[in-house]
Amino acid sequence: MGEPARLRADKLNVGFNRVPVLADLSFDIPDGQTTVIVGPNACGKSTLLRSLARLERVGTGQVILDGKSIHAQASKSVAKQLAILPQTPTAPEGLRVRDLVLRGRTPHQSPLRQWSADDAQAIENALRLTGLIDHADRPLDTLSGGQRQRAWIAMALAQDTGILLLDEPTTYLDLTHQIELLTLVQKLNAETGRTVAMVLHDINLAARFADQIVALKDGKVRYQGSPDDVITAEIMQDIFGLNCTVIRSPIHDHPLVIPA
Amino acid sequence: MIREPALRIGRYAFLLNRRAIIVGITLAVLALAFAMIATISGRYPTSPRTLWAALTGNADTVARMIVIDHRLPRILTAIGAGAAFGMAGAMFQTMLRNPLASPDVIGFSAGASCGALAALIMFGTAFVLPGALIGALLTALTVIGLAWRQGIQPYRLILVGIGASLTLSALADLMMSRLDVLTAAEMAKWLIGTLNARNWADVTLVWAGLVILMPVALWLQFALSRMAMDDDLVTGLGLALSPLRLAVTFIGVALVALAVSVAGPLPFVAFVSGPIARRLVKGARPALLSAALIGALVTLLADTAARAVPMVHLPAGVFTAVIGAPVLMWLLVVQFNKGKI
Repeated sequence: MGEPARLRADKLNVGFNRVPVLADLSFDIPDGQTTVIVGPNACGKSTLLRSLARLERVGTGQVILDGKSIHAQASKSVAKQLAILPQTPTAPEGLRVRDLVLRGRTPHQSPLRQWSADDAQAIENALRLTGLIDHADRPLDTLSGGQRQRAWIAMALAQDTGILLLDEPTTYLDLTHQIELLTLVQKLNAETGRTVAMVLHDINLAARFADQIVALKDGKVRYQGSPDDVITAEIMQDIFGLNCTVIRSPIHDHPLVIPA
Repeated sequence: MIREPALRIGRYAFLLNRRAIIVGITLAVLALAFAMIATISGRYPTSPRTLWAALTGNADTVARMIVIDHRLPRILTAIGAGAAFGMAGAMFQTMLRNPLASPDVIGFSAGASCGALAALIMFGTAFVLPGALIGALLTALTVIGLAWRQGIQPYRLILVGIGASLTLSALADLMMSRLDVLTAAEMAKWLIGTLNARNWADVTLVWAGLVILMPVALWLQFALSRMAMDDDLVTGLGLALSPLRLAVTFIGVALVALAVSVAGPLPFVAFVSGPIARRLVKGARPALLSAALIGALVTLLADTAARAVPMVHLPAGVFTAVIGAPVLMWLLVVQFNKGKI
């Protein structure tokens, strides 16, 4: 292995009200790849993603971004390297798509520098990549669920960071829109070389869209590797307590979990 | 190509919103026109020509006394206090993400009045503003602190705030019982909110305060428009949430204390200004300047209405309450139906 990964957790301990959620957790987010974090409910996968984005108070251990503890760095400079889309983000009523995406530019701006040519370019790119350029002037609350989620992704894209963290980006979307959104994320990873890490509930979607899967249980990383390595009947039994058969997807050539 | 109209000065660039500018200019013209009407009307009607003569120093003594010593300070104080309330209201409503979270609904104004009254009784008139400042700040920190459960819980905030408001009003009544009857009668009007008998010292105080506080508030508007989203997003975008919250609270409280110390609590001015401004400007902006102008207009209207009632010195606060209370009820119903309370 060459360079260490830009973003990694080092012996991370996070707890709520003295109940440990993450215990001595260490792992790397491989640069330029799509990593999907999976695991049963309450295994700490969302807490892990949020900790990686400095949204949780960390007990001991640390999150390392570019060789330095993330908490030791100015929040604004972290925001230029790493964008996070939380699970159910909220925006005030009546906010237009372009204004939402503009807010993604916040770390590159200040009260005295609210607009630049870079801002215009980044917003334009984000709207084009997410297919929302024709909806820029519409209020967010008039969009469909799938479009709205793409608008949030556009905001995170406009932040123009090398690392993008998504916490269950497919929540509340129907299957068509889940596939559409994850295809978009795959395209972003392929075309812009961004490192993507996301939490997904659906193991078969994870198998299809991940370069690497991280399987969590009881606040620890149990398995980490390619979908082929991690998605096996034994591991599914161990992680989810699920009796299943794993076959190969006849269409997309990835492991497919068929519950018993 | 995505373009936003921006004002560039050297390496600085400010976003301009056409709608906000049009609304702002319209409101400013309205306020100016209304201020002029208010200056020439009253029990001793004066013509626009006399107003001009008084302003340029060419009027007779009576006209000058009425216009310069009497009406003008009252009107300028009304505009200043109203603007301070309007801006403070919009700041808290945006930061706490709820139109009910206005300083006059959740007890900050009552805290300012109480502090001002206590300072007045104990130390004299020179200490009214610091007293109001301390009273409002303590109330704000207590109410927000008590309503905090990993973020503001709207119904907790409103219940705690209304509780604080009632407690502080009772405390003010208690303090009033220590005053002699005449002073107590004057203070009772001030506690409703009045602009009666303002002088140039009040005008200087409120406008000097605005000159200091308004630029800071407008500087905070950049962060406030982001703080209207959720906390995780604010942190994710690289803003320092806690220091910003403290800064907004402090500036908002200072504006409330400033307005209360020259005009009393003037119920609901802060409360109605923000939502009206947001509806006019649209696009989910904090619209602090528009809210300030609405606050000024509402206060001016209420005070002119109060002046128009013959024989009694009715406090302007009576009229702001008449306008504001139905709006409060309407908003409570709307929010309840939306499941936000």
